Amino acid sequence: MDNAESIVKFEHISVQFPSVLANDDVSLEIKKGEVFALVGENGAGKSTLMKVLYGMNEPVAGKVYIKGELITKYNPSEAIRLGVGMVHQHFMLVPSFTVAENIVMCKEPMKNGIFFDEKGACEIVENLVREYGLKVSPKDRIDRISVGLQQRVEILKTLYRGADILILDEPTAVLTPQETDELFDVIRRIVREKQMTVIIITHKLYEVMAISDRVGVMRRGKLVGVEQTKNVNERILASMMVGREVLLPKLERKKTSGEELINIKSLTVLDNRSLEAVKNLSLSVHAGEIVGIAGIEGNGQSELVEAITGLRQYKSGSITICGKDIKGMTPGKIRDIGVSHIPEDRMTTGVSLSASIEDNLISGKHKAEEFAVKGIHMKRKPIREYAKRLFEEFDIRSSSVEISAGSLSGGNMQKVVLAREISFENPVIIISQPTRGVDIGAMEFIHKLIIDERNKGCAILLVSADLDELFALSDRIVTIYEGRITGEFVNGEIDKSDIGYYMTNASKIDE
Amino acid sequence: MKNKKIDWGYFLSLFISVFAALLVGAIIMLITGHDPISAYGETIKGAFGSPRVIGNTLAKSVTLCMTGIATAIGAYAGIFNVGGEGQLYLGGMASAIIGYTCYGLSPVIAIPLAFIAAMAAGAFYAYIPAVLKVKFKVDEVIVTVMMNSIAIYLCSYLANGPLKTSEKGIASGTPAIDPNFRFPSIIPNSSLTTTIFIAAVITILVWYLMRKTSQGFEMKITGQNSRFAFFSGMKSDKSAIWAMIISGAMCGIVGLFEVYATQGRFKPDLSNEFYFDGMLVAMIMRYNPIGIVFMSLFFGAMKVGASAMELNSGVSSELILVIQSIIIFFMAAERGITSTIKSRIAVKKQRMQLNAKLKEEA
Repeated sequence: MDNAESIVKFEHISVQFPSVLANDDVSLEIKKGEVFALVGENGAGKSTLMKVLYGMNEPVAGKVYIKGELITKYNPSEAIRLGVGMVHQHFMLVPSFTVAENIVMCKEPMKNGIFFDEKGACEIVENLVREYGLKVSPKDRIDRISVGLQQRVEILKTLYRGADILILDEPTAVLTPQETDELFDVIRRIVREKQMTVIIITHKLYEVMAISDRVGVMRRGKLVGVEQTKNVNERILASMMVGREVLLPKLERKKTSGEELINIKSLTVLDNRSLEAVKNLSLSVHAGEIVGIAGIEGNGQSELVEAITGLRQYKSGSITICGKDIKGMTPGKIRDIGVSHIPEDRMTTGVSLSASIEDNLISGKHKAEEFAVKGIHMKRKPIREYAKRLFEEFDIRSSSVEISAGSLSGGNMQKVVLAREISFENPVIIISQPTRGVDIGAMEFIHKLIIDERNKGCAILLVSADLDELFALSDRIVTIYEGRITGEFVNGEIDKSDIGYYMTNASKIDE
Repeated sequence: MKNKKIDWGYFLSLFISVFAALLVGAIIMLITGHDPISAYGETIKGAFGSPRVIGNTLAKSVTLCMTGIATAIGAYAGIFNVGGEGQLYLGGMASAIIGYTCYGLSPVIAIPLAFIAAMAAGAFYAYIPAVLKVKFKVDEVIVTVMMNSIAIYLCSYLANGPLKTSEKGIASGTPAIDPNFRFPSIIPNSSLTTTIFIAAVITILVWYLMRKTSQGFEMKITGQNSRFAFFSGMKSDKSAIWAMIISGAMCGIVGLFEVYATQGRFKPDLSNEFYFDGMLVAMIMRYNPIGIVFMSLFFGAMKVGASAMELNSGVSSELILVIQSIIIFFMAAERGITSTIKSRIAVKKQRMQLNAKLKEEA
């Protein structure tokens, strides 16, 4: 591998975004036929660099060579011509089209030069499937197939366009452990049999160890190191990423047990299309425990959380919190009876991006006598002091409490949400995706905070797409598939790879 | 609760926009064979040259400020009230009806009554699109634009038909209101009346509501992100509706001002798109109430000065409209232009640093 020819070469690449230098003098060579992993925290510039290769970003300085050819025009069609294909984190597929239609799009086979040749398209796809061993059925509609299959369609799309350099941006973020394994098999196969070059962007270090030949680590726009994967381990990579030793500490758990604070009985919730997203679900959470919900995204978790917190009305069943039935209550009322909520989407629900940080911190408490005389005249000074106190307590890093929340990084924005919600001192906390898009440093902090609340006796319902997080925090883990609970486990009694079966319909087949 | 949207950078671009617009105006004058310096001189003289014209400028500013603040409070809570013109007409009509039916009554009773009628009419007319928006997600812009036509033509029908005065020599309009009800003039021969004090009080009250109260806070959060407001336990629907009610009531009062201070009766040409002028002022100042007060003065002066300019230097007063539009155009493009300039500067700096670094290495 060491002597393989280089297929992509970055020379002193710098990319400037309006307020940040996203790539800072990056030089990197990628060799033909290797799997190269690019790791780094969020905002480290991994995707930015790969989008340079794919022609979506233009560097302010530096040169890119693909197969020895100097890139002069940065646009995706040029990159595609040179054999670069990119599978984005958010798939770019037309949901109402079939698999075949999506794959051949932009380069469709024609009948008589006018009409779309559907049969031809299916044949093309079948040939691709045979050639690369990526099984899909060409006539299925995209919105009816699983995320794992959608990803295959994306990969096939790039292969159909002749790609031999494949960039995968966070490919496993939406996959179950099984689907991840399958993806890795596919990657290994196309590299071995088709001599393809695969670049995988990720922040999951065990995946780097599992799949890559070489790994590049980025931090704050700079490439801080390139290593043979076999010469490093996860700990070394983590400290390279963060710039210091990372010790994800063993979280200390006090033994607690308490009364039942959340009781859900045969709950059915409809989604936006009026389909049943949560079906006949029952669940209970006690004081002093964290119940984790494991499931692939889109299996009713969001609707369940919205129903519990009053953001969505539910169709049938009952939810009792702290002994009160919450049917018909507004989010404000539910908050008053003792529920804090850290929503999955902090940008649209967790904060107001254009409001100042202090305004965000007091939202929901803004009528308290502490901040507003008789609930009317707002007192700026106590509000500011309160915000500054939370700043210190929750280690929120920003130049001032007056700037808008939208200017904060993901981790700091999440800390603002946590600071506000935890300081309500409610006995029940509903948490969704607490560390999505958050860097490792902030993740340590957030995890500790959640455990602290548990040890103080809060009942916590935790929804996360990150299995590692669920295993690190939960006392009990409940799996959800298509709105139904498919399994319930005491943490420690099941392993990570087994739980994947319960997150898919595999468990149903077993029965 | 500092408004982050207006900072020194914004003032700088505003200043540059105004200057550039005046410059374009000057070029047009030069091309058409007029002397821009004397024309602008006449404009300034026409707006501030004598107590009488100062009075007129202030009177114009009062209207702009009231309508501008009315736009701002709606926008603050996330509803764009384009229907102020209709609310203004209905308020004018309602107050005019009180004004002539209560003929002979004590002003102490009649004037408050007129205010209540004008505010109720405007508020009601704003309440309809607000509820439609909040409950049924009907686009308020389309609804209010349509409702403008309905109100204006309805009032025109009333003033030409059922409520038409029997006085001779008046083509259309309601009967005159009791002269005792009219607002007294402050500067002789000018159109400035005591309405300026009422407008000042209302402006301060609305500013206080928007900036200093928790109700205003809820309006602001609702306007910024209504889902977050709902999530935080605020009554976001109620906030939005109240903002529109206040906006409509303010427009109704502007209608009353026109009837009780200027016209003395309701006439079908009560307003010459006064609301839209105020709306522009509010948009340029990004709905900042204090900014709106000052921008109203500037626009008021331009409007009043323009007619003097036309009279004394022969430059058509339409040119001032051109200049106004250019200012608005520049301000609308401001965000894009400044961010482009900023990123260009950043890129340039980056290139220079890199080149220096490369040279060092070499």
